[in-house]
Amino acid sequence: MKDNDQVHWAMVIDLQKCVGCDTCTVSCKAENRTPPGVTYNVVTEVEMGAFPHITRVNQPRPCMQCDNPPCAQVCPVKATYKMENGIVAVDADRCIGCRYCMVSCPYGARYFDFGQDYGQEMAGYNHLTTPEYGVNRGIRKKGKTPAGTVRKCHFCLHRLQRGEEPACVEICPGDARYFGNLTDPASVVARLAASIRAMVLKEELGTHPRVIYLK
Amino acid sequence: MSVAKTGPGSPGITLGSDFRSTYATLLILMAAGAYAIGARVLGGLNVTGLTSITPWGVWVVFYIFFVGLSAGAFLLSTLIYVFGMHRFEKIGKEALLVSLISMVVALCFILLDLGRMDRFIYALWFGNATSVLAWEVRFYMLYILLLAVELFYAMRPDLVRLRGEASLRGRLAAALTRNRDNLSPAALERDHRVMRVLGALGIPLAILGVHGGTGTLFAVVKAQPYWNSALFPVLFVVSALVSGTALLMVLHIFRCRRQGRKLDLDLLRGMGALLLGFLALDLMLEFYEYLIGAYRLEAAEWATLTSIFAGRYAWSFWLIQIGLGAIIPVIILARGSRNSAGNLFLAALLVLAGIMAVRFHIVLPPLALPQLPGLPWGHYGPTWVEWVSSLGLMAMGMLLYVAGTNFLPVDGTAEDERSGNNG
Ligand code: SF4
Ligand code: SF4
Repeated sequence: MKDNDQVHWAMVIDLQKCVGCDTCTVSCKAENRTPPGVTYNVVTEVEMGAFPHITRVNQPRPCMQCDNPPCAQVCPVKATYKMENGIVAVDADRCIGCRYCMVSCPYGARYFDFGQDYGQEMAGYNHLTTPEYGVNRGIRKKGKTPAGTVRKCHFCLHRLQRGEEPACVEICPGDARYFGNLTDPASVVARLAASIRAMVLKEELGTHPRVIYLK
Repeated sequence: MSVAKTGPGSPGITLGSDFRSTYATLLILMAAGAYAIGARVLGGLNVTGLTSITPWGVWVVFYIFFVGLSAGAFLLSTLIYVFGMHRFEKIGKEALLVSLISMVVALCFILLDLGRMDRFIYALWFGNATSVLAWEVRFYMLYILLLAVELFYAMRPDLVRLRGEASLRGRLAAALTRNRDNLSPAALERDHRVMRVLGALGIPLAILGVHGGTGTLFAVVKAQPYWNSALFPVLFVVSALVSGTALLMVLHIFRCRRQGRKLDLDLLRGMGALLLGFLALDLMLEFYEYLIGAYRLEAAEWATLTSIFAGRYAWSFWLIQIGLGAIIPVIILARGSRNSAGNLFLAALLVLAGIMAVRFHIVLPPLALPQLPGLPWGHYGPTWVEWVSSLGLMAMGMLLYVAGTNFLPVDGTAEDERSGNNG
């Protein structure tokens, strides 16, 4: 029974459809109200192929929600852990801010919250925070959690709980992102993940990313 | 066992004004450090030059430097208390004291580095069996406890003899030895047994747990190919021996000069020979580590090595780590018994600077690289807060050392001669 019910979230990003507009990055900042220096999602530009058949592709980089997450492996207090739904979570109330996970993430997906904010540029910035992982933290203040802890993309878990897609998936103008349950063989992500175009980053490290790219 | 009474009437040294300037300098540095630490506590890690690309900086560098000093000094003391090399007996208790203080300083550095200093106790309260760091914190605690107990037993006979003294030192000795003042041969024999056992337990703890473990902390990180080598923990242990020996020589010579005591040149030359041996082994391992790392031609490791050999860190690598920290000390130390105390002091000081450079070159270069092509590079530069707080913590360590050697009987006494005769 349990196996049939189980959800294992995954994301597929089609590199041929991504136009590099960075809308996902912006929508992520707006959705998660991340402070300066924290960007759960970025779009990088990389070269693929060998001369003379080189192409430049835009390669968005969220957290890969690895199935073998090195970040969770090294965390001394289990503040970072793998949830049953496949998402790698950070318990901001437990994280001691040692940043061991940051040097251990092969994708540069983790960010330290230095406690800065956009209060100068944006009136009222601190008054609205996002209920990451379903925890409502109220007003953002200096020295108050999550300041001083490590943060990263969490597939917009708070939106998933409301039955919505992650913000970046919903907004992508190129329709390059797909999101769904990988354990359901009929789901779009499961079918795309089986495509011969499917690949993951740094596969050789055995991290088993849950973000799959179509090259 | 009558020898026990032939030593200098009062073990240890006279408290003089000779350390006044030292104390003053250290206190000033500590005050500056306290100011910087205040800024850090109020401002969080925002006051550092750290970023999400380079999340570890000089505090981590000094943390592994001091863990290494501690492990090295302790392992040196086991040569005496476990392996019976009584030639170094005179420096045994000092080695334990230095080891203890270095470990305390190391922990202060790592505490300062935590994003949430207020949650430091979580590191002990919560755990994670797959986290090397979680194991390390526990090993550090055990190790500190072991060092303190072993140092106590090493000093106990002298502490008991000091009890009568009507000074701060005497009162301290009396407080420490309240109901442990038995000096019968049987009791002393028991002390020695305790120390042998603790020393023997401490060896795997210091090698595998404390410093090998600190190396493992880095070695297991597959995201950083430059650290990800099985030689790394070994290299950490050997470089710990190098720096621990060098630190003891520097401190011992400095203190004896200040106290106007006669230096035991035999002892120092013996330590110099040890230092030379450790250093040679260390350089060999380093050579292989770099060679095999470079030969892999793995992009990130290659870029890291390039930045060390020919890039941003070239000056500190060639000048400090290799030139001043290795070549010159090897030349000096190779002169063996022709060396004066001054020469040995210089060589040991240079070696210390070299190992400090080694620590910088371990932590910082790989953390400048982006993990994926297209991500930004790191441009970490420590801020004044990081430098001044580091200086302050080091001054604190030095103050603890000067005070410790002044108030505790760490110097060789009749008691040592007794065990020397036995051994
Ligand atoms: S991408 Fe990095 S942060 Fe995300 S799960 Fe993998 S190792 Fe952890
Ligand atoms: S920074 Fe936080 S989440 Fe990362 S390893 Fe340390 S305690 Fe765990």
